[in-house]
Formats: sequence, C-alpha cells, structure tokens
Amino acid sequence: MWQYTAAAVVAVIGVVVLELRVLRTGLLKTRAYWVAMAICYGFMIAVNGWLTKLTAPIVLYDGDATTGWRFPWDIPLEDYLYGFALLTLAMLLWDAAAPKRRAAEVPGTDATVSSPPRETARGARS
Amino acid sequence: MGALDRYQYLLLMAGCLLVTLPLEFVFRARVWRQPRRLLVALVPTVMLFAAWDIAAIAREHWTFNARYVTGWRLPGNLPIEELVFFIVIPICGLLTLEAVRRILERAR
Repeated sequence: MWQYTAAAVVAVIGVVVLELRVLRTGLLKTRAYWVAMAICYGFMIAVNGWLTKLTAPIVLYDGDATTGWRFPWDIPLEDYLYGFALLTLAMLLWDAAAPKRRAAEVPGTDATVSSPPRETARGARS
Repeated sequence: MGALDRYQYLLLMAGCLLVTLPLEFVFRARVWRQPRRLLVALVPTVMLFAAWDIAAIAREHWTFNARYVTGWRLPGNLPIEELVFFIVIPICGLLTLEAVRRILERAR
C-alpha cells in the first residue's frame, strides 16, 4: 500500500539531494523560484483537477497505492509532490545548462554605465 | 463534444501550451528561443518520469480512462498523452520561472 505516496516522497528527496550535492545551482534559494512554483501550483490545481475529477476522470488511481487524501476536488495529495519533483527537476537542469553569463541579463555590462556590484550579483541570482 | 472526447487529455495539454506561450513574447521568457538548453532540461526529466510512469502503469497504480485518451501507446504501454504531459508541463514551468525572473528584474 501507499506505493505512489512512497515513490512521490522519494522523488522529492531525490530532486533536492541532486541540487544540494550535484547541481548546486542555488535555484531553491531564489525568490523567483518560489514565486514561480506558487503560480505553477495555481495552474496545476486547475489542470490536475480536470485530469483527476472523479465525475469524469482521465487518470484513475488505485486506492491502495495512495493515502486516499484528495484536495481540492479529487486531486490526490501525492500529485503535489509529483508536481514539485517534475517542475523542480526541469528547472534545476535548465539552470545548470544556463549560459555562463548572459550579457542582456546582467545590468551594467556596458562599461560606461556600470552599476554597483551588489546589483549585478542580485541580477545574476534572482 | 462526443467525437473529441478521446482527444480530451491531448487538448488539455495543447491548452497549457497555448496559455503559457505569451510568456515567451510578453515577458521575454526566452525558453522556446533556447532550444538546446531546453533539451538539456527536458530529456533527463522526460526519461525519468516516463520510466516511473511505465513502472506505475505496469503495477496499475494508475490507469487511464479509455474514453478520454487516444489509445495510442508507446513501448512500455505508455500512453502518448503521458509523454506529451512530461514535455508540456516542464515547458510551462520553465516559462513561468523565466517570466517571473524578468518581472522581478524589472521591479528592482
């Protein structure tokens, strides 16, 4: 029982460990990431709500594989962990593959109008 | 609806792509315009989640309502819709992340 629950928890831990031990992009420490995730969860509830609604489900879950907790509507609790792992993994790999320095993104790259270094550091991270 | 029922899952994914597409242009997310970087993000993600999906489908942790899917299956009994999901949803996430970054940069 609870196989999907267990797999989803392992997936979340796996993604976080991948970041902390291997990729070290710093993504999880940025405000942009958490704001983006909050927005994604909003849309996820709409899309996932549609996929899992028990009146006309597209995806059906084996009752034994999950805790059975569903919120809101009929979204299984496990799907939030699944969504976290899926989105965060893609975002981490995206950042790991970022070009070393994107001139357009870093303020003050034009030598004549250099901005304070603190601003540049924030620009590169946020 | 009727005849379109079996495309419902695919249409939902198409809707996700359409809704997030403006982020690329309005907020200059620059996700679609970095195809190689996008592939680096997508390929391992798709492979991992497809493997998980194939295992979960084999163990019947979840199944698909024949009424709302095309019935087109890939090796491993993976519905084509699931593959599309693993590509579309991360793209939506990346567009959101990059759009938020542009907005926060501008707000500074």
